Amino acid sequence: MGARAYKTYKKDEIKVLKLQEFCQPVELKKALDLLAVAGDQLKPLAGGTDLIPAARQGELKIKGFLDLSRLEELKGIKEEGREIHLGSLTTFSQLELSPLIKDQVPLLAEAASTVGSPQIRNQGTIGGNIANASPAADTVTALVALEAQARLVSSQGIRVVPVDELLCGMGETGIQPQEIIQEVFFAIPPPENRNGFVKLGRRKALAIARMNMAVIITLEDGVITRARVALGAVGPNPYRNQILEGVLEGRKPSPSLLEEFTSEAEQEVAAKLGPRPSAPYKREAIKGIARDLLSRLFFGNGQVVA
Amino acid sequence: MAAFHLEMKVNGELVAVDIDPGMRLLDVLREVLHLTGTKEGCGEGECGACSVILDGELVDSCLVMAPQAYGKEVVTIEGVAALGQLHPLQEAFIEAGAVQCGFCTPGMILAAKVLLDHNPNPDRQEIARAISGNLCRCTGYSKIIKAVEIAASRIKAEAGAASD
Repeated sequence: MGARAYKTYKKDEIKVLKLQEFCQPVELKKALDLLAVAGDQLKPLAGGTDLIPAARQGELKIKGFLDLSRLEELKGIKEEGREIHLGSLTTFSQLELSPLIKDQVPLLAEAASTVGSPQIRNQGTIGGNIANASPAADTVTALVALEAQARLVSSQGIRVVPVDELLCGMGETGIQPQEIIQEVFFAIPPPENRNGFVKLGRRKALAIARMNMAVIITLEDGVITRARVALGAVGPNPYRNQILEGVLEGRKPSPSLLEEFTSEAEQEVAAKLGPRPSAPYKREAIKGIARDLLSRLFFGNGQVVA
Repeated sequence: MAAFHLEMKVNGELVAVDIDPGMRLLDVLREVLHLTGTKEGCGEGECGACSVILDGELVDSCLVMAPQAYGKEVVTIEGVAALGQLHPLQEAFIEAGAVQCGFCTPGMILAAKVLLDHNPNPDRQEIARAISGNLCRCTGYSKIIKAVEIAASRIKAEAGAASD
């Protein structure tokens, strides 16, 4: 009775992925030339924290890897004018610890600090978080609130696409097989802004977000003149919710505005999730995370679930 | 497929091996170099039993394709004891009873080592966060945290004695 079904593997199957190719270029141009002629033979590999187990478990058919880890052109966090540019290989740990990120866009440092475990944060990258297109990608929710753009490069040229437009559903993106993300960039929010990120997971470490939220508000003379609200793990990908932004814009932070926002957020989540089994839980839970985050941004208190 | 020529430093020694590039770093450490202190638990980054230190950072070696370690420096549990002398963390784990079945211990020690290398004076919360990617099903963690505290105070005392 009730014998548990353990996965069984033949020893050879579990040990080694059958790859036809493994390329490890040290120049971006070379990498793009390889991808241009590879068809579906090469899959770009960044941190590998999602890709490697997926390939090994047969969820993804990988014929070969194009290892990006030695491409210096994809690394580094830079401030250029009023913009921040993140090389696509920037790891979550680098974001979490960067003084520039912590100072200017704490929501992104907070989002990065909630990903996985120390090990995953040391390995996983912001480019991979986008390319993987998980509904619950923590840093992507922050990037969507920041209206970040991705710079995609191929041997044919460059295109710049807003991150939220790149995401086309669970695990799906508009990134072409011959393209890679070189960097992600966004404007630093105006000086009078407050921003934050909140995540609800089953436990603190190693939890996939049951839901997450990023908010940026700009205040002028005590009035919210601009609001950006992004939600994750509610739709197929993190997305901006303009209705919730509209609730905040033109208003002054107050306990009643907070309550109005929470009840609107509940309705938005209910509408987005429809009859899914998780809907009743998430409708309640969104109120809690919205209250936590907004009371912190409005009144400077309220602990964030890390 | 053609073999991949992997050169890396493992526990201070240069290693050059021709491997199947479909192997993970974990596979090369265990099956090629026979460094079996690194354990495979879940194989998907949840348990931390396969943790190693790669260029100074803790990683899950089951989530690193072996060629990605090219040119890098790897420290495994075998590289922690210097010249036959156990590391203060290893001593403290024994003393505090922080080892039961032992399967998580190599990963736990490496996670704690990276913490103490950067932060010689961690509080309990910082220790808990540092080992949050390492699961232990025996100890309930409190003895592991205690062991890290003991080791930290000993390393500090030794450093203090050395500078006197």
